[in-house]
Amino acid sequence: MKESLVITGAGVVSALGCGKAASLEALRSGRSGIGPIRYLETSQKEFPVGEAPLSNGELAALAGAPDNWPRTTLLSVVALQEALQEAGLIPQNCGAIPLIGGTTVGGMDLTEKVFPGYSPWHSCGASTDLAARFFGFAWATTLSTACSSAANALIYGAHLLRCGRYEQVVVGGSESLSNYHLNGFNSLMILDREPCRPFDATRAGLNLGEGAAYLVLETEASAIKRGARILARLSGYGNACDAFHQTASSENGEGAFLAMQQALSMAGLEPAQIDYVNAHGTGTPNNDASESTALRRIFPGGLPPVSSTKPFTGHTTSASGSIEAVFCLLALQHGFVPPQLNWRTPDPSCLQPCCEAREASLRHILTNAFGFGGNDSSFILSRP
Amino acid sequence: MEQLINEIKLKVIEALNLEGMTPQDIEDTAPLFGDEGLGLDSIDVLELIVLLEKNYGIRLATPADGKAVFTSIATMASYVQAHRTK
Amino acid sequence: MKQVNIPSGANLAQLYRDLQPDYPKFFKMDVVSKLGFLLTEMLVAGEAGRFQPRQDRAVLVFSRQGCLANDTHYAATMADFPSPALFVYTLPNIVSGEIAIRNKYAGETSAYVLESYNKDTMWELVRQAFQDRITQSAIVAWIDCPTDTQWTAEAFLVNRNDL
Repeated sequence: MKESLVITGAGVVSALGCGKAASLEALRSGRSGIGPIRYLETSQKEFPVGEAPLSNGELAALAGAPDNWPRTTLLSVVALQEALQEAGLIPQNCGAIPLIGGTTVGGMDLTEKVFPGYSPWHSCGASTDLAARFFGFAWATTLSTACSSAANALIYGAHLLRCGRYEQVVVGGSESLSNYHLNGFNSLMILDREPCRPFDATRAGLNLGEGAAYLVLETEASAIKRGARILARLSGYGNACDAFHQTASSENGEGAFLAMQQALSMAGLEPAQIDYVNAHGTGTPNNDASESTALRRIFPGGLPPVSSTKPFTGHTTSASGSIEAVFCLLALQHGFVPPQLNWRTPDPSCLQPCCEAREASLRHILTNAFGFGGNDSSFILSRP
Repeated sequence: MEQLINEIKLKVIEALNLEGMTPQDIEDTAPLFGDEGLGLDSIDVLELIVLLEKNYGIRLATPADGKAVFTSIATMASYVQAHRTK
Repeated sequence: MKQVNIPSGANLAQLYRDLQPDYPKFFKMDVVSKLGFLLTEMLVAGEAGRFQPRQDRAVLVFSRQGCLANDTHYAATMADFPSPALFVYTLPNIVSGEIAIRNKYAGETSAYVLESYNKDTMWELVRQAFQDRITQSAIVAWIDCPTDTQWTAEAFLVNRNDL
């Protein structure tokens, strides 16, 4: 694309802890954040999850926010603080900047405690608006396309920049665990009672995770003008619909293929120029086979290193697009390939992921986020 | 068994939103899945698993276990007869 | 620009039968997806080349309530046996997925939840969806369902040169 869009700030909270430093340490040392449920009040304790290692009270204290806010919002505020700080937008206010957030759970963690009553912060939009008002953003909107929400928030933010409406946007997503979707994913029988093993022949499903991550995205001209440090470039992106099934992916991964193809085309890159792929890689039999097929179609000359970081964090659903973008950012900045944990047994229908964290000079990273409804997104981050 | 088969047909019609169908429209041994059958899909398998547990106390561990059980109404009825706990 | 709507409380099963789409999965959908499905049928039935897979048509669904009507049904089943068929529809964007599956649209699909019906916001977002060079037309719908039997449902078939 002809516009030059850059990232000048990033913040994250997940099962790996608060902040990029904790994530970096975990990714490099192979320390997974998946374990038994600690904070969610539920009877379904048999599923390992990627829970952020703080109670709502602790998150609120860290955020400087009320502790009766939805967990989704508290996670957002913590991640936003780190992103805005890095971009030099705190203590200046964000009054001219919109916040684009992705979530599905919203305030449901509170609502399900009072159902059939109604929490005023139940709606997805309200949980983003709360965070937006906390920082004084110009306005906020929420995209809710399941597991591609945060990636789509990034794409939408890019549209706002490219059409010249804004010079800076803040984009990302947040999701907290809830009984509602824990029960729901269990009813679809796609949760694993063991830690997930993406692309492994014995994989039996995903582990749910939670967290938040936001990126400050701006035009290069804006970044240069205000002397902001450029962390990475958003080189290209794509979104396509698999048009196959509400919750399963097609055998030849058509939606995924089209989204990745669009991203490469927009970036003006050949597949061989991609140095690492951060896969969606949930650990379900269906996704991993479908995504492997799509990747093999995109990279007919051979795959670059590929890994899923979901064995570190679990599947953070609506936040996964931005949380994994931050991991890709760390990989670019610090020159390493995040490893794939828990992979042991090859599956001919799947790719073989890269299992060791290794130093590597990375120029371009492709990352995928695929949502229910066949909503498939892909984007490319590049070294500045 | 006749009664159980009819009962299962009614429950399947309700659980899977098979609009406008009556038990008379479903043959006992007709395949439930695939193009020749009722054209049920993967989500329908999951609902049938819930149906077995809710009505007959039978717990299937994975959708794969369901494949043989849900071949037809007749196979479902045999399985229910053999394994029901309520 | 073609525009259609379905009056609140209309008999959707009857409308389905009138349109004759031969798509039994319709009856498994929640009310939002049923409305999205029917509105699209009304817009594109008889279109030349229909059902040829295409990437150049986007699907944008707007609402205030999202899939809340169905969410409530699902929540009630959590008490004993959570229903997978209901859980599938507890996402605001499944409706755009269902439209895409039926019509083989492999382009951009999205669902926006707005604080209220806001024409300016909606059409601004539609214009932005045409930012790429791929999208040439779009199904744009406002589908807002406080309950299974009350809604506001309207849709447009927008072409690039309409904007």
